[in-house]
Amino acid sequence: MPQQTTRDVVIVGGGLIGAAVGFGLQRRGLSTVILDEGDVAFRAARGNFGLVWIQSKGSGSPDYVAWTRRAVDAWPDFAAELADLTGIDVGYRRPGGFHLCLSQAEVEQRGQMAQRVSRHQREDGKTVMVDAAAVRERVAGLGEAVVGASYNPLDGDCSSLALFRALHEGYARLGGTYRPATAARSIRTAGGAYRIETDAGAFAAPKVVFASGLGLNHFAAQVGLPPLVRAQKGQIIVTERMRPFLDLPISQIRQTPDGTVLIGDTKEEVGFDTASTMGGMIELAQRAVRALPRLADTRIIRSWGALRVLTADGLPLYEEAAGWPGVFFLTSHSGVTLAPAHAIAIAQWVAAGEMPDELQAFSATRVQAEKVA
Amino acid sequence: MSLPAPCPTHDLIVVGAGPAGMAAAECAAGLGLSVALVDEQPRPGGQIYRATGASPLADASILGPDYQRGAALVEALSRHRIECFYNATVWQVTRDREIGLLVQGQTRLLQGRAIILATGAMERPVPIPGWTLPGVMTAGAGQILLKSAGLMPSASVVIAGSGPLLFLIAWQYVQAGVTIAAVVETTPHGNYLRALRHLGRALKANEYLRKGVALIAGLKRAGIPILRNARHLRAEAGADGRVARLHFRTGNRDRSIECGLLLLHQGVVPNTQITRALDCSHDWDALQRCWRPRVNEWGATDVPGLWVAGDGAGIAGARAAEHSGRLAALDAARLLDRIQPSERDEKAAPDKAALAHHGAVRPFLDTLYASAPDILVPSDDTILCRCEEVTAGDIRHFVALGCQGPNQAKIFGRSGMGPCQGRLCGLTVAEVIADARGVPMEEVGYYRIRPPIKPITLGQLADLDIPQEAAE
Repeated sequence: MPQQTTRDVVIVGGGLIGAAVGFGLQRRGLSTVILDEGDVAFRAARGNFGLVWIQSKGSGSPDYVAWTRRAVDAWPDFAAELADLTGIDVGYRRPGGFHLCLSQAEVEQRGQMAQRVSRHQREDGKTVMVDAAAVRERVAGLGEAVVGASYNPLDGDCSSLALFRALHEGYARLGGTYRPATAARSIRTAGGAYRIETDAGAFAAPKVVFASGLGLNHFAAQVGLPPLVRAQKGQIIVTERMRPFLDLPISQIRQTPDGTVLIGDTKEEVGFDTASTMGGMIELAQRAVRALPRLADTRIIRSWGALRVLTADGLPLYEEAAGWPGVFFLTSHSGVTLAPAHAIAIAQWVAAGEMPDELQAFSATRVQAEKVA
Repeated sequence: MSLPAPCPTHDLIVVGAGPAGMAAAECAAGLGLSVALVDEQPRPGGQIYRATGASPLADASILGPDYQRGAALVEALSRHRIECFYNATVWQVTRDREIGLLVQGQTRLLQGRAIILATGAMERPVPIPGWTLPGVMTAGAGQILLKSAGLMPSASVVIAGSGPLLFLIAWQYVQAGVTIAAVVETTPHGNYLRALRHLGRALKANEYLRKGVALIAGLKRAGIPILRNARHLRAEAGADGRVARLHFRTGNRDRSIECGLLLLHQGVVPNTQITRALDCSHDWDALQRCWRPRVNEWGATDVPGLWVAGDGAGIAGARAAEHSGRLAALDAARLLDRIQPSERDEKAAPDKAALAHHGAVRPFLDTLYASAPDILVPSDDTILCRCEEVTAGDIRHFVALGCQGPNQAKIFGRSGMGPCQGRLCGLTVAEVIADARGVPMEEVGYYRIRPPIKPITLGQLADLDIPQEAAE
């Protein structure tokens, strides 16, 4: 029998979700190992914009509205806990946030979305449409091209890189084992537990969490689930440091505490190519300069494409595979916003085994019906 | 506002007008190709022949006879119709052979049927404690000030490090009348022994060796102290925050020298930013301790229609660069059906022979001037990434957390995320990770380089029309 490492839970994937769930499980006293790939992999966490965002989450899904709200409510305590444990300030703030519309058509489309979402939002956190004058009160130097915006007072942001690092530091401090360059290949049952074969030996546990982003489909097939996710490309431009000029996040433009400005919002349906396209970069730059003309003279430091992990309907997916008790599939393209929910509620579910009612709406059964395109 | 390039604007675009680029452009134009030559400088010459024909120094002979060689190349270039873009920054090169240029604040797209990258070498960064202090710069940066601005330092100068250029620069300063307090050489004693077995082959190109010996002799005649086998270099600031002295150790003795300007040098390495951004394959050169793009005997990379010529494909010096530039141009002309393979081979024969000649001295020089281990893998308190102030100790901590390579280290600590795009820390961060993990550099790899290769403003980028194929 080849050597095998045994834990309470094996977590496949060391991105924002795997690290948050691992952190939460260690905190509950379980012994876990996170299996991750090497230095170069398709990592959605690296393309993250850092928004802690509710204004557009849950159009058509009251459950998602409630789930996101719960996560945002947990954020202040969660950020404080991470800082206490690791000494890393993830820079969370909640000043409210805008999504800018650069044409009347965009205003109308956004308005419809706001109406659908706000129907399910609580009174103190409703997404509303505002005119350009209202945006101008909060954002100096707004371009003439801005016609209006959507706004939610509970929107905020953090440093997604600091969060990523804090989750990993915290996980290590709580005794978790992180195994890089240990890409998982297969799962099978073995003597009342599960056995995960990897590039670097086998791992056994009574429970397995797959949080492997675009790699989920590979394991879904092994337990009889349909394909769960697809890739969607997003591009981000980062500028040189500027004096602080923007003290609240805009979904397309955000200034980080160290002064750099992140610009993003393209949605390109492509395969597994993470190169930056010239056209995508130009479009981002054009929209950014129209929204905030002062950005025109700011130098771009780099741009990159990262792959978002999306389910067919854009909602998170949390599933304990039928016939494979203790085998969990987790994905969401809101790894930052939902980090506290993953560390608390999802970890509790994985530890206890009983799916809470609030998560029923996110099970994979909905995917069975639709099939991912 | 300029228009996107809908189809190739030139048969060949040569990036870089140093010896390789000038020779490539001249050769290709001579074979009837339409050629664009692009360079960041106001005139051709590259770093080695910078400001050739227009040196602000009253007496350009200070720079030595090699420097005059550049004039001949520039003259040859002027005999052909080549569209030259000087003062032009290349901020993007795509696999479709599009080149994004920035010329006098205007963005512009070119597209070539073939591209030759002749972007040369850059100095190996020398991360020692205190290397970020004002008054500390690389020897090459000091040399550029001398060549293009005629700037001569008034404070006393210490030149520290290793490599053939160390003595050349010291000699150029002496010729210009600058006080050199000392040349502090970090070449480990053991290197001399190891290099000896390559000496026989190196004698085939003994003009290099004669030149080196003459430089060192000249410095000694001028009374410049040369302190050898120095280790544990550390720059210390004075009360004004600028560098005031260099500490180091020779034998069992701790020493220090006062200086107002400290020039550091550890040789040069290929500038691979563009080939990295294009995701070309690269190989680790264990002797030169650097990455080089994987090329065939003509300089062709594994990206179709893309060649690398000169030091950008591996350090071989200015004379070798001319020949590799011509080889790449001949192969590009063959690919574009302007010459037959037989004609290419015939024309290439003298250049191949010359390349072999100039290459004979490399194993000796590369072994002799291999950087000392404490410079390749610095101590914990040394800053590696100047842009984000990440130390070697930070990187070791990230490795302990499970970082396998520089791209994960980037996520954990922002190293390589600043304006220099990792140019100044990429090699060292990877060396520290490889050392801490106990694995070869091939297993650690390098940063993924993202466009723009050189910073442009959002406004300049926004001025471009969206190319058709990308807008689909």
